[in-house]
Amino acid sequence: MTHTTTGTHLASGKTRPLGAPARLAKWLASERVFRLIPFVLVEGLFIVTILIPFALTIWISMLKWRANRPFETAVFSGLDNYAGVLENEQFWFSVGRTFYFAGVAVALELLIGFFLAMMVTNCTRSKKLYTTIFLVPMMIVPIVVGYNFSMIYIDSGPLNQLLSPFLERFGIDPRIRWLSHPVAAQWAIIIADVWQWTSLTFLIFLSGFAALPRQLINAARVMGASPMQIFFRVQLPLLKPAIAIAVVIRSMEALKMFDPVVLLTFGGPGTSTQTVAYFLWEQVWQFNKFSFGAAASILLLFLFSFLIFAGIFTIIRQRNAIAGGR
Amino acid sequence: MARIQIKDLVKTFGAYKAVSGINMEIRDGEFMIMVGPSGCGKTTTLNMISGLETPTSGQIVIGDTVVNDLEPGERGLGMVFQDLALFPHMTVYENIAFGLRVKKVPPAEIDRRVTAAAEAVHIGSLLPKLPRQCSGGESQRVALARTIVTNPSVFLMDEPLSSLDAKLRVDMRTELKRLHERLKATFVYVTHDQAEAMTMADSIVVMSKGRIEQLGSPLAIYNTPATQFVAGFFGTPTMNFLEGTIEANGSGRRFRAPGIDQPLPDALPAGIAGRKVTLGVRSEHVLVDANGPHAGTVLITEPLGDATLVHFDYGQGKTLVAKVPPTTTLGPGGQLRFDFAPQACHLFDAAGGERLN
Amino acid sequence: MAVASTLTPEQAKARRSRREGRRRILRHVALLAWTGFIVFPIYWMVMTSFKDSGEWVTWPPNWLPREPTLLNYSQIFAFSQLDASQARQATEQSFTIWKGLGDSVLVCTTASLVSLLLGTFLAYSISRFNVGGKYFRHTILTIRMIPPIVIAISILMYYAIIIPYVTSALIGIRISLFDTYIGLILIYTVTTLPFVIWMMLTFIDEVPYTLEHAARMMGASRMTVIWKIVLPLVASGMVVTFLFVFILNWAEFLLALTLTHPDVTTLTVLLNKFQSASEGRLYGPQAAIGTMITIPVVILGMLIQGHLVKGFSFGTIRK
Repeated sequence: MTHTTTGTHLASGKTRPLGAPARLAKWLASERVFRLIPFVLVEGLFIVTILIPFALTIWISMLKWRANRPFETAVFSGLDNYAGVLENEQFWFSVGRTFYFAGVAVALELLIGFFLAMMVTNCTRSKKLYTTIFLVPMMIVPIVVGYNFSMIYIDSGPLNQLLSPFLERFGIDPRIRWLSHPVAAQWAIIIADVWQWTSLTFLIFLSGFAALPRQLINAARVMGASPMQIFFRVQLPLLKPAIAIAVVIRSMEALKMFDPVVLLTFGGPGTSTQTVAYFLWEQVWQFNKFSFGAAASILLLFLFSFLIFAGIFTIIRQRNAIAGGR
Repeated sequence: MARIQIKDLVKTFGAYKAVSGINMEIRDGEFMIMVGPSGCGKTTTLNMISGLETPTSGQIVIGDTVVNDLEPGERGLGMVFQDLALFPHMTVYENIAFGLRVKKVPPAEIDRRVTAAAEAVHIGSLLPKLPRQCSGGESQRVALARTIVTNPSVFLMDEPLSSLDAKLRVDMRTELKRLHERLKATFVYVTHDQAEAMTMADSIVVMSKGRIEQLGSPLAIYNTPATQFVAGFFGTPTMNFLEGTIEANGSGRRFRAPGIDQPLPDALPAGIAGRKVTLGVRSEHVLVDANGPHAGTVLITEPLGDATLVHFDYGQGKTLVAKVPPTTTLGPGGQLRFDFAPQACHLFDAAGGERLN
Repeated sequence: MAVASTLTPEQAKARRSRREGRRRILRHVALLAWTGFIVFPIYWMVMTSFKDSGEWVTWPPNWLPREPTLLNYSQIFAFSQLDASQARQATEQSFTIWKGLGDSVLVCTTASLVSLLLGTFLAYSISRFNVGGKYFRHTILTIRMIPPIVIAISILMYYAIIIPYVTSALIGIRISLFDTYIGLILIYTVTTLPFVIWMMLTFIDEVPYTLEHAARMMGASRMTVIWKIVLPLVASGMVVTFLFVFILNWAEFLLALTLTHPDVTTLTVLLNKFQSASEGRLYGPQAAIGTMITIPVVILGMLIQGHLVKGFSFGTIRK
């Protein structure tokens, strides 16, 4: 047999016996196995850090136990904790309040973000500058945002100073304690959220506007469409995916609201700004009601899972609409 | 030895059968071109030879070794890809050297072989550049050099010229053919361009729907297409097809269709009379002749320079194309008479498409 | 036609420029108003960080520090116990930033790196082999959407009670992951993995697979292909992803608050601690810490601004 490079290579590949490590390496490199290695690693990590604790949470939620007593003293109590959570008014109020905060904040963020993006898109020279400034809040640590607003809202803060000319005219002491008033405190939290996260909706819409095909708009203009018609008939329908994504992402995040509550109000005054995340945290961390907290968090997860799947479904659908499916 | 044998090769993707049981042999040193429309299974077959796809069943033998279970790199093949697949983050030199480096060839030898391979395709001056700084034709040569440098005895090429503009593509055809002459290696080349296949191949495999339609030399395929599909695939303009029936007329046989009554040569299989057939005639075999038996009305003419194509209606809205000398005076609306060159008539079964004469 | 003919070209032009000018002024008024709203809280924080304790809550508030001081910064950056001139707040603790800074850097860097490594390889696997099925790339996001408080409670009980309980029963040693670096790194890794997978998917999907085929045809092993071909081509994407995930971890508060302190203290927890100190709120040092936390992330964020769109668009927005 005449040995070309091919010949020797093939022959050696066939006849040379492989050692155990080499065989293992070959097995690991085969497509069937190789592709699963990272999958198994990550899934393993998820199982150890999410799934097992979650299973334990379900178990603990069915015990009668407070963390200040030894774990051995816990007794099985069935679904008592769940009944307790469902009967707990504060739980339901905090859930309702969370949806209220999220609804108002996300609506404002979408509206403001959309119009800011539209205006910035029309700018020419100042576009880059505005974009850079408007994106800053997103990068600021949420807890610092909470701190910033707590500084602004205090009774001798700059907000009151700005308002004082108006207030003094009506004989009101301008040194208002905003965070001691339930409604004002709620709005304080919403404003802090809008301040921070309008930057995200702005970013999503800005890239949405940038991706709009100019040719379509030019075509519509040539056909004699007014700016309003172009906006409602051409631009808005094309931006639908961006809007859907902004709604999904922001809603999911807003429903988890926790950080500004801690820094601004501690859920107060009373319980007027308790979000569900803060309510749970307080139950577990301040009152050591572990079993109660476990049951509440399981219920919360069920409540959220519906929203999560609706959100994922929306993302998949919008993505397929654009990419034509992959 | 770099003979390639393919035995009962099947590849399915889920329910979809990409390649359904093909057999062929590619001789050592042959320039073999697999051609067919997209989705015919030619690229899948090539990928199975290269090892990038695993066959569902069947065998691939290179030389004397069954290579089904060998990794792509262990098969001693070189491959040029449709998008060339030059590594964008490496210089031309590094691109060409990559295959040698992973095989742990000593640096001095790498240097010698890279330079030699680059000179072989006339890109010696490009070595320090990045792929994105190269033009289309230059990138093409880099991809070739990268394949040549490892001395494979089999070159696999997956539509390598499709990214080039028309003129460059024609130039590269000649160059590839010369390269094949010089290297004396086996070339397996996939394309959907029948002109490319005709000009370069020693032998052509025509594929359609996962099956081999015909395997033969370019001229054999052009002159005696085995099926109506092959007949329609090769040649520009596309062969004329007329549907009709065969009638026995004493000892001779005639092809009858509306407006056409064409006597056929005697050498036809028995029992053909009365069958529904498709008559295929290339445009150059449609003879425009004032004494022809059939009549038609000219629709349009397309001057090509060395010839002129005449599209005409021969009744009931059916059209034919004839290739006539450029000196023709025919114009739209004009009347003509025509005949078919009897020895150049191809008869295909109307239902199955297989050749009858 | 009729509209155009009633105006001379000059009139049309004047009308057009008048309209455009009005529109531009309105636009800039709105944009500048929002700019003011964005900038003001940051401005106030930075100003407060330069104010001495007497100026923190005066009425009317000072828009500029009357006597700018670096005391707040020297206090948070103090290496040892404060000397008398600096310990003006007479608090029982010294609020230095070093512990929080060190812990934050350590935890965020390690968690982001591990997450990047695992996530990149899984993204490669998903992109190339469709591991986990057609919709795995979407469902992986559910992990991110679970409210962190739910995870926090589960993990708290897992770390603080179950693991010590199990380890002492099995091997006789109480091992707790509560308030440890490993515990926090582990949970940060897991919570950021979905983002890494998502962002890296967008980058890896862009590397043509024929490049890998070409390399494999030349005899490169799978690891060589990944190391020499894929990773160099997504390197900039990896940097962006790392920075993004780092920012996420850097900003994380709830999990750190629940699972750590006092042994491990991240900056966000440290910032919160100033508030609960018995002396009332220490606005000045808080502002100084807030400024110090903010500066690096804002700089990092600006560096990766262009790429953030891709990460946040979840593949629905084309470049």
